[in-house]
Amino acid sequence: MAEVEETLKRIQTHKGVIGTIVVNAEGIPIRTTLDNSTTVQYAGLLHQLTMKARSTVRDIDPQNDLTFLRIRSKKHEIMVAPDKEYMLIVIQNPSE
Amino acid sequence: TEMAPTVTRSQPNRAYLGCSGTGASCPGCASHKSPSTAKSETYISLSQVLDENGKDVTPRPVYQPDPAAVQSKHSKIFASDTSGGTMSDFYSTTYQTTTNASFAGAFTRSLFGSGSVSIGSQSIMESMSEEIEDPSSKRDNSISLSDVQVKREEVKELIQEEMLDDMVDLYLVESDTLCLLDMPAISVSVDSMEAESVKERNSRYTELCKNRTGNDKYMGRSMQTFNGASKTKEVQSEAITMADAATIANNWDMYDSFCSAGQGEVDLSTDTDKAMSSSSSRMEMEPFVVPSESKPDPELILQSEEFQQHLFVMERIILENIYQPKLAAYRQLPTLEGMVLLKCWNHVTEQLSKQKRLRREESSLDEEGPPTPALERLWSFSCELTTGRNVSSMAWNKRNPDLLAVGYGQFAFKDQKPGLVCCWSLKNPSWPERIFTCQSGVTALDFSASSASMLAVGMHDGTIATYNVQSREKTPVIDSSDCVHKHTSPVWQVRWINHERALSGEDKGEALISVSADGRISKWFLRKGLDCIDLMKLKRTRNDRFKRQVGEKERKSEALISRQAPGLCFDFHPTDSNIYLAGTEEGHIHKCSCSYNEQFLETYQAHKGPLYRITWSPFCSDVFLSCSSDWTIQLWRQDLFTPVLGFMSTQRAVYDVMWSPKWATVFGAVNEGRMEIWDLGASILDPTIVNPASPGVKLTSLLFATETDCVLVGDSDGQVSVYQLKNFTAGEGTQDVSILQPPMRLVKSMSADRRRLGLFWFYIENKNV
Repeated sequence: MAEVEETLKRIQTHKGVIGTIVVNAEGIPIRTTLDNSTTVQYAGLLHQLTMKARSTVRDIDPQNDLTFLRIRSKKHEIMVAPDKEYMLIVIQNPSE
Repeated sequence: TEMAPTVTRSQPNRAYLGCSGTGASCPGCASHKSPSTAKSETYISLSQVLDENGKDVTPRPVYQPDPAAVQSKHSKIFASDTSGGTMSDFYSTTYQTTTNASFAGAFTRSLFGSGSVSIGSQSIMESMSEEIEDPSSKRDNSISLSDVQVKREEVKELIQEEMLDDMVDLYLVESDTLCLLDMPAISVSVDSMEAESVKERNSRYTELCKNRTGNDKYMGRSMQTFNGASKTKEVQSEAITMADAATIANNWDMYDSFCSAGQGEVDLSTDTDKAMSSSSSRMEMEPFVVPSESKPDPELILQSEEFQQHLFVMERIILENIYQPKLAAYRQLPTLEGMVLLKCWNHVTEQLSKQKRLRREESSLDEEGPPTPALERLWSFSCELTTGRNVSSMAWNKRNPDLLAVGYGQFAFKDQKPGLVCCWSLKNPSWPERIFTCQSGVTALDFSASSASMLAVGMHDGTIATYNVQSREKTPVIDSSDCVHKHTSPVWQVRWINHERALSGEDKGEALISVSADGRISKWFLRKGLDCIDLMKLKRTRNDRFKRQVGEKERKSEALISRQAPGLCFDFHPTDSNIYLAGTEEGHIHKCSCSYNEQFLETYQAHKGPLYRITWSPFCSDVFLSCSSDWTIQLWRQDLFTPVLGFMSTQRAVYDVMWSPKWATVFGAVNEGRMEIWDLGASILDPTIVNPASPGVKLTSLLFATETDCVLVGDSDGQVSVYQLKNFTAGEGTQDVSILQPPMRLVKSMSADRRRLGLFWFYIENKNV
């Protein structure tokens, strides 16, 4: 348990990381370093996108499944690790 | 509106539902009760209602039953006589249970229209409709009390008010099979027994029909039949609620349901009754359809395996973003300058080609001489755990070339603190993958080649431990602290050696060899616990060449303390695993064999101080390098007892030296103050590249990367820096061993100016390449 906390802390302190969010399946944040409204916004929007992405991947091959999603935008990169029970989101600005 | 005459009945307080006849005429009628059954009476009490004008506005019954007719009909029904009429016939035949009879009773009452259709008829209708749906006694509790009365008539039991509160046992029994329709077949099989009689009858009939026409015996006559009076009957039911449901069946949705259904389903193909099995499977599927409703606790989520795995991957991705240019340089991928995202592919390729052109131009400018080789610092492996510790040894994993094990421990005796072994992965330069703390400082490390996850660690207190880096355990797999013959002094080097040829009585395979300052080279194996045998005891040898040195006197007095020379390093021959070289603190190099554990084969004496490293050349099997604290690095050949070449650049002890795995004439050396890369093809007097250390930090170990042009340097501050060799084109073709051989043979034949000629030949041969 302490290892998990340590890893989360380490991730947060890496260069360029803007925020880290862990939400459960209902969108309730478990751990977040951003403010609540931003967290809820990210969680909601990314949940839908993840569902769509997973549906796409599995439509092509039902034995496949989505493991990771990375969205690179002009300003930063959003990395999503989806799961049945939770979602881990990290926003990083790599060129900082 | 016409006013119907108000009905005054002989029994004004009696409900219409009851029988309007007197008690005598209706023997079975339960409604002729003592007035104690007041409940029904109060339920429907019809008294005169007058409005303000005195008009009689008593609600009239819809039907005006003829009391006499009602009575007779009732008696018929209740006496359960078979009466005329198909309907009552039908119902009487089915009159088996009370429920059925009540069903019949209620139904016929309304059907004939003679029933007490009154205000209570509504409830009858309801109850009847209920009865139609479900002729079981379920409705007993839900209907109005008047209906209870209706039913109980058949029970022939006086229902008291108190009895209504009793618990009644209801028995559900299976009713007999009602034959609703029986259409006998009009054809008979030829094989059956009746066939003959039927055929005969048929033939007789045809005969008859033939005879009928024009026959006087037969006369046509018409007849009128009764037409049954028909009546329309309306039924009203509750509105059927409908709901729309839609779903989208994705490819994967169907696959998922198929997979989960397949777990609980009877095998359809083997089941004879397909309908049965499908229905059973549908029922079994219900539990799968309903998802588990338990909401996982947030803390549980955080501790779950998958979350840790995701965190792990996420961290690596973040670091990849940060270190991407450095890692790409390490892997020798072409990198784009700057992190600007270029919009279209054409632009990207244009950039790349532009850069290539620039580089070509750069290199063309330096056509006269190759561009100066340089070192570029990529990154360093360090974290807060390792700061302040001295890097004593580094080793690559034999199977995964991205995995690096680094041992941290002080060399000197006085600053001893608990040691540390960290396994670093290239993908995460900021935090090690595995951290093992050891009781004393770590001085030697090596990964096994046969079982790639075994890491052998030698420590300052003489303990040797092996760790399994695949597991997450922090404790060693096995430890030598219980061994009787363990080393009593710091273990300066450990190596896993593969003995291909089995020596007498010994096992083939990999063995762990260690050398320690107590003068023993031991081979470790696992019998009942870790045990070792001594391959060699390093005896002190007298140094014949330096007889008149002060050291001799010291040595003589030292001989009393220990007859063994502390061993500091060893290296096995790359091809012949029987032969190995050992370096001692005295400065001697002994060539030994595994077959003889008493005597040295040869001794090479040239160094004046303790030898820190001996290493065979990976390309030329006769050549080895040694470095020592007497500020020199010596290049030897196996059959020559004086070094072929000696290198000295600064007046610092050289801690580590290593041949480059890629270029035959290149080696790297690290002394206290700086790191040097020597290219013997370019110059034998000066190192080709020099990289000074940061002030206050001593460089202690060196490791070449096997597949790329990178060098790792460990220092006394706990950092392992990765440098890339740039513009290093020298000696790329000298992997051909034979090129080095002719000069060596020539060198051997010359006796006088051996050293200078050796230099010369070396220089010439490698220049040509």
